[in-house]
Amino acid sequence: MYTEIAAIFDEAESRYLKADELSVLGQYVGSLPQRLETYQRLRDQELSIMQQVADQLQAEMPQEPTANLERSIKNGLLVLRYCAMSTLLNDDSFVKDRLLNWLSQSTQTYNIQKVDTVLYKLLDQRLNQVFNPQQFSLLAPSLQLAKDALINH
Amino acid sequence: MISVADLLIDNRIPGNYFASDVYVRGDLELGVLENRRGDRLLALPETLIQGIYAGLNKETGQATRLVLFNCGRWWGKNFYDRFAEELNSYYHKAVVDMDMAEFLQSLQQCWITHGWGKIELDQTHQHRGFLVIKLWNSPFASQAPKSNLPVCFLEAGILSSFFSRLADKDLHCIQTTCESLGADCNYFILGLAKRLESAEALVEAHESHEAIMQKLCA
Repeated sequence: MYTEIAAIFDEAESRYLKADELSVLGQYVGSLPQRLETYQRLRDQELSIMQQVADQLQAEMPQEPTANLERSIKNGLLVLRYCAMSTLLNDDSFVKDRLLNWLSQSTQTYNIQKVDTVLYKLLDQRLNQVFNPQQFSLLAPSLQLAKDALINH
Repeated sequence: MISVADLLIDNRIPGNYFASDVYVRGDLELGVLENRRGDRLLALPETLIQGIYAGLNKETGQATRLVLFNCGRWWGKNFYDRFAEELNSYYHKAVVDMDMAEFLQSLQQCWITHGWGKIELDQTHQHRGFLVIKLWNSPFASQAPKSNLPVCFLEAGILSSFFSRLADKDLHCIQTTCESLGADCNYFILGLAKRLESAEALVEAHESHEAIMQKLCA
């Protein structure tokens, strides 16, 4: 959506915006209060959300070396921060281009897909408790991209 | 118990430092291209790369490969210093203390972002003292004049001094396949100069990369 909106502004000298283009812009502006609120909530609750996920992760995978759990949690924090920004921008490619290609390599190298699978299951559950369905739906697309890149590849 | 707060350093989690859209910046009015720290970047137009090959061929003939290799060595030395310094200031960790995967991830992204194509390391022969490097989409291979031998002398020089600095050993580098000769990627072999002595003649005899590797490891 962000790139779609950015492209709209390239035509300033040739014409005024058409109704459907203005409607795209209007939809984005209309969704901003909800996006800001989601962003702020995630920002403020980042540590408590992730701490709970980390505790459950450790409980579910007691045999897993702590280094692998910590790596997966750290990557999860990074993904969450990028998802938060993607939500603000309404641009899923932000998380994909800037983070996931890079991150997926290390996930494979360290062989932590199994830990990531459990982590994202727990994270999904936790986010569903913290956010209302509308807010969760704003985070979900970029989070899904992360899961596809890190677990389901 | 894992404390999530303790996993953050100064409330941050270092990510993809060399991400292209964050790393490369510019000011068109000043005509300046910079990296995210404000260090100057240099853009090489294709014409210049073609001109370097053509000029060197005319002025130095056979010595072109040596001149380019030595320029690459100089470039690689400075590139390593900058790479190490940038990673150190971003990750708060010396390059030698990074584990191999972290280091590789950074190098690969750095290579892409600088427009040098894609780089991959093959450590299969490391126990025999050789490191194989694969490069794709080399701007030098694509702009060099036609030859019947590999032409990425500059990159060979860069790789040789970059990895010499990293390994703290003087390593030589030989290119065995080249995109300019229709190969799908550029293969380079890194190792001690003495152990690579025979490889040069094998490349000139148009032996395949696999055959050269086999003879080196025999």
